[in-house]
Amino acid sequence: MSMSYKEKSLIASMGVTLLLFGWYFYGAFSNLSLNQEPQLSTIIALIVLVIISEGIIQSFLALKNKPLLEDERDKLIEKISYRYSYGFLSACIWFLMVQILLDTWFDNHLILILTTPFGIFHFLLLFFVLSEVIRFGTQLYYYRKGI
Amino acid sequence: MSQQTLADKVGVTRQTIFAIEKDKYSPSLEVAFKISNVFKTPLEDVFTYE
Repeated sequence: MSMSYKEKSLIASMGVTLLLFGWYFYGAFSNLSLNQEPQLSTIIALIVLVIISEGIIQSFLALKNKPLLEDERDKLIEKISYRYSYGFLSACIWFLMVQILLDTWFDNHLILILTTPFGIFHFLLLFFVLSEVIRFGTQLYYYRKGI
Repeated sequence: MSQQTLADKVGVTRQTIFAIEKDKYSPSLEVAFKISNVFKTPLEDVFTYE
């Protein structure tokens, strides 16, 4: 099954995001260090790694394939993928807001790990990353299935 | 005419022409008119509404 330049580019972006942020969240969740202050150096290193990896992979893909300009189909697929991504992110943020309110109303008796400041930070980061993955995934789906 | 030639004349990507041919994408009116202009045939001879 041959893939277009756009599909390869999307798979590369999704792979880099999943791999690098997956590594970060594996560390954060497996060590149960959600309550601990996130290391600023780790976050900066992660962002720099994502930018460098994306740059290298996208340049390599552009060398091997002829990059194409976006047309109306690309823009339509992008618009739909942003809608799904936004919907997911909104739902997650509402979920987090309800958790914080519940925590306040029940006087910290229902204290959950995600209502601590660093817990909120980690979960927000997770939701942003997942919404990005949903955006890439939706685009790939519509490029394959058609629209 | 190759897909790439048609794509260049219409101003879309080859993948979009491929998707239109495979019935995986319904183009905008603008692109539909451009395609029919390239073939110098009426729009309804190039596209059908089902």
